[in-house]
Amino acid sequence: MALLTADTPVGHELPQIARQFRLAHFRKGAEKTIHTDYEAARREGLPAPVAVGPQVAALIFQQLRLCFERGWIEGGRCDLTFRRPVFVTDFCAAQGRVTRREDTADGVRLHCEVWVENQKGDKVIVGNASGLVS
Amino acid sequence: MTMSEPRTRIAEDEHGRRAGFDEIEVGRSLGTLEWTVTEEMIDQQCEMDMDYHYWYSVASPWGGRVAPPQLSYRPPRWLISRTYNVRGLFYKWEMENVRAIRPGVKLVISGTIADKYVKNDREFVVYQAEAHDPQGDLVFRTRRTHVLDVVERSAPRAGRGLDSGVKPEKI
Repeated sequence: MALLTADTPVGHELPQIARQFRLAHFRKGAEKTIHTDYEAARREGLPAPVAVGPQVAALIFQQLRLCFERGWIEGGRCDLTFRRPVFVTDFCAAQGRVTRREDTADGVRLHCEVWVENQKGDKVIVGNASGLVS
Repeated sequence: MTMSEPRTRIAEDEHGRRAGFDEIEVGRSLGTLEWTVTEEMIDQQCEMDMDYHYWYSVASPWGGRVAPPQLSYRPPRWLISRTYNVRGLFYKWEMENVRAIRPGVKLVISGTIADKYVKNDREFVVYQAEAHDPQGDLVFRTRRTHVLDVVERSAPRAGRGLDSGVKPEKI
């Protein structure tokens, strides 16, 4: 059952979804990529391997799936900005809150502010997302 | 005193010369590809994201398993890689999940270069894509922005990268 409904008030906080990343989470065979190899990352100007952006954003998608369920899979929208690199051993937590309710032809749409923070409290991904609720 | 290494942007990788900002043509079609999601792809996506749900694994209101919407990430990336050898980093991701992505349904995905710009001495490319099912209905649409290089555009291109944006077309 979706955590958000048409009665959820603006300001409601979304559940936090966290993950401790490891380099192994990004390894694919013996490929040397900016996600798995220090030299590959260094040559591209990065100090260390960086996490695969969509795998970090997936913390937000899991949060939205829990919040909207059906209204995320059909009718979900998001607009994310990757503000700074996430390194492959970072701890990340997706957070968010409801910002607006909109009555649409498809039903009630709840808009949310979403973000991912690393272990230092830096917002590494920020954005907006919405889904349909009943 | 330590000598710092001069900063350069990678010039080439195993797939040839990296695409330059001036070569990227706004409005250019990235072509189309046909893509059919399999049960194995859904399993892989759930494992990669460590996100498991009954609808993704067993059955859903749509009559069978459905894919996590973010499974749609890769095909548009393959489309731009078929046209331009771009490594870079992901900067912006807009996505709209219009219909559930179901295994065994062939989707036709088409893309275009939507924009390009320079900000903070770095080069950005914007591309967009849409996926339609065999009935012609829209399944998802997306618009992404990639920064072509981590290093500033004022740095010269030199050297060979170990990584490439051109990847095998699989999840």
